[in-house]
Amino acid sequence: MALSPPLPEQLPSSGGRQMPLYSIIGMAILLAVAAVLATTVGSVPISPLTTFSIIADKLPLVDIAPSWSSAIGTIIMEIRLPRVILAGLVGAALATAGATYQGLFRNPLADPYLIGVAQGASLGAVIGFLLPISWHVTSFGIIPLLAFSGALASTAVVYLIARVGKTLPVTTLILAGVALGALLGSIVSYLIISSGDKLHSIIFWLMGSFSLSQWSEVTIVFPYVAVGTAVILIFARMLNVMQLDEEQAQQLGINVERLKIVLLAAATLITAASVSFVGTIGFVGIIIPHAVRLVWGADHRFLLPLSVLTGAIFMILADLVARTILAPAEIPIGVITAICGAPFFLYLLRRRKKAIF
Amino acid sequence: MKRKVLILAIMCLSSLILLNLLMACSSPPGPVPPGENEITDQLGRTVNFTPSPQRIISLAPSNTEILFALGLADRVVAVTDYCNYPPEAEEKPSIGGFSTPNIEEIIALSPDLILATSIHEKKIIPQLEARGITVFALDPKTIDEVLTAITLTGRVTGVEETASGMVSRLQLRIQAVTGRTESLPPEQRPATLYILWHDPLMTAGSGTLQNELMEQAGGTNIGRDIADYGDISLETVIAANPEVIIAGTGHGTGGDATFKFAQTETRLRDTLARQQGQVYAIDSDLTSRGGPRIVDGLEQLAAFINREIFR
Amino acid sequence: MIKIEMRHISLGYDDKEVLEDVHLQAMPGEMVGLIGPNGSGKSTIIRALSHVIHPRSGQILLDGEDISRIRKRDLARLVGVVPQMPLLPSTFTAFEIVLMGRNPHLGLFQQEGPADREIAWQAMGKTSTQALANRRINELSGGEIQCLLIARVLTQQTKAILLDEPTANLDIGRQVEILYLIKQLCTENNLTVLAALHDLNLAAQYCNRLVLINNGRIYADGTPAEVITEPNIREVYGAENCVHTHPVNGLPIVLLDSNHRSARRAGV
Repeated sequence: MALSPPLPEQLPSSGGRQMPLYSIIGMAILLAVAAVLATTVGSVPISPLTTFSIIADKLPLVDIAPSWSSAIGTIIMEIRLPRVILAGLVGAALATAGATYQGLFRNPLADPYLIGVAQGASLGAVIGFLLPISWHVTSFGIIPLLAFSGALASTAVVYLIARVGKTLPVTTLILAGVALGALLGSIVSYLIISSGDKLHSIIFWLMGSFSLSQWSEVTIVFPYVAVGTAVILIFARMLNVMQLDEEQAQQLGINVERLKIVLLAAATLITAASVSFVGTIGFVGIIIPHAVRLVWGADHRFLLPLSVLTGAIFMILADLVARTILAPAEIPIGVITAICGAPFFLYLLRRRKKAIF
Repeated sequence: MKRKVLILAIMCLSSLILLNLLMACSSPPGPVPPGENEITDQLGRTVNFTPSPQRIISLAPSNTEILFALGLADRVVAVTDYCNYPPEAEEKPSIGGFSTPNIEEIIALSPDLILATSIHEKKIIPQLEARGITVFALDPKTIDEVLTAITLTGRVTGVEETASGMVSRLQLRIQAVTGRTESLPPEQRPATLYILWHDPLMTAGSGTLQNELMEQAGGTNIGRDIADYGDISLETVIAANPEVIIAGTGHGTGGDATFKFAQTETRLRDTLARQQGQVYAIDSDLTSRGGPRIVDGLEQLAAFINREIFR
Repeated sequence: MIKIEMRHISLGYDDKEVLEDVHLQAMPGEMVGLIGPNGSGKSTIIRALSHVIHPRSGQILLDGEDISRIRKRDLARLVGVVPQMPLLPSTFTAFEIVLMGRNPHLGLFQQEGPADREIAWQAMGKTSTQALANRRINELSGGEIQCLLIARVLTQQTKAILLDEPTANLDIGRQVEILYLIKQLCTENNLTVLAALHDLNLAAQYCNRLVLINNGRIYADGTPAEVITEPNIREVYGAENCVHTHPVNGLPIVLLDSNHRSARRAGV
């Protein structure tokens, strides 16, 4: 046979090299556009020129004579900019974690909240709301720390329950996670009912929100999300091989147990960091990876970075809608993500009817 | 064959639903106690009541305040967990929470009048009426309606004179404020923000008691474009640059969290209110409860918003 | 080239013992056939040799080194496995599945390069699967998938190959093609090959040595002529009068006569 092997770009969308490479660049550009758009638009009208001037003025070596009031400057630099960045970080984190869980569990229904992270964080947050202490050491109060602790604690419990000797069977992990999640969820429900006047705050937190996002939150969330995502991206090729069963993966040289723990830890960490500050925003973690798969295929070397970018774009735009459509009031972002995302995904499914899993 | 099964299933389901509906409709209301008097309450219900009831239960803190202010403390047999004013009210037995009163305990006390609010309309009031208990609902949404509520309560409890006396005195106090504010032009009505809660940032919009109080006190509510109670974005607040910020405090375990927020949130530092030190705290019971103390709230707000006029 | 050795191996699942005190050896350049009735433990041995399951007692040695001390990635460069009925996701194409065989040779940050792709392509050429390159797994027949798995193990370029029923779904022509290919690689490249086969005739034709397993123990170990004998077949399989001699190459051949009833042994 004088034929040569199929070139990367000839392989159908399950992994041609060049098409996704251009797509990554394209999505990165789209992300920049979305971020810029979200910073200029808001419930208070500010012209794009003013927005750019305000930001440019903060750059070193650039000095622009202020033609804007300090109120406008505060709005751009201290309200909108940290909010857009946080939305991008959280969207990227949830989408990446979702893609990782789906790859690890080889299950299309997996999402970042599968093993109880969201329920643990919710319980921590609700306890924080109900405790009569207020903590002013950090500018974001006590809720994120309790939520983070709750998330990590519930993950640890699920891990300890599911572990069998030195192995971590995947089905046991899912079952333990769902069971613990249900238990924690019912405790949260009970606490909500007896929360009295805190009800609105708690429900609002549970549905997720970026209002009152500040730079201090961004500086905490960023390292977790950056490191965790980087670790996951490194193991992208191995995640491909893990799509075979665990036996084959091991026979092809992958230390399956170690990989499971590393990826689970990284995905859980970025989820916990996001949820602790922003609340449990649903839908993004399960649907964005699927949408990316539908368009660009299941090769994790492209699925993961594209999930990062698409998740960020989606969240930034969803937050933009949440805070402008009924301005000056704000809709909880969980509502927006569900309303916007579901029909879009159905549309994608109808257009491309091939198997995505 | 499949079709027959489907038709059969639909018939069964429809008859089940029909049966449910019939059962729901056919439960007869309880016997109405003989009463010479009829009155329409603030939920639009026509209520038959016995004159001068002696065993009254209040299902809301605002109702409790009205009852005690009318001197009916001896006739009140139970209140809710949240009825904390006047202090004597806390010594009364409680029949539960605001939206979760215990029906059994209520019945066990053999009341002859229950004062409820709109929260109880869907579930609690029908249950009580089905057992033949007289329920009268108050639901004031404006200052005028609060005065009406006091008048109605006076009628239904047989102390009309006391009630009208109280209403007159309250009207005088209200007039003392509005007399000086109603002629204020817009530029002399300071932009005011009322913080209901800080996380999420919530304010009272049009149609709320707080909104009316602010307007009557001579201020311009920056949240007036919001309908009822709602979240307001920090951006909007900063852009509106309020001259006066009032934080509602005392929400259960919330304490003065809203006040701390108003005083310390860095992004509000450039607002006129912070620059001029016009950040105040007010007991939220004074601005949200539809009772006589609403006028106390009005007076305090007037002092905050227009301190020149009201020393 | 490596020598595979099992010493005093006991293997089981949960509380069920499958194999007891098993001794096994395979030398480089040697193609060893594992034969035995259903459930006798052939797959279990393959899985133990690839360290997917761990023995209860005993040692498995590769060139004298205990297999449990070898890192997973190094092991995958020494030993390649063709599993029996594996799960293959239909989101990847045939070529990509075969290309995964290069995984043990790639570092954490490396991606497959043109050289890797060429190796995979050549492997598919040897197994006549190049035409399937862009097809998805769920479109392929059992036989085509089996050939792909063999292409994958060739792509892995290991010193030893373990095969679990590699020809179960193949037609006669393909069976011959594949086994001939494996035998050729075995002898030319001095590979150590262990194949679990249920077809006794194929085993006799292609394997240098046969290991007959029965009731959790090694029943016979030797050349095809030594192992496939009337008494052995009768004892292990309960089939009568069926071992004959191949007219051309003199190797034993098992022929069934439909007039003979086989006496099923209890417990077999």
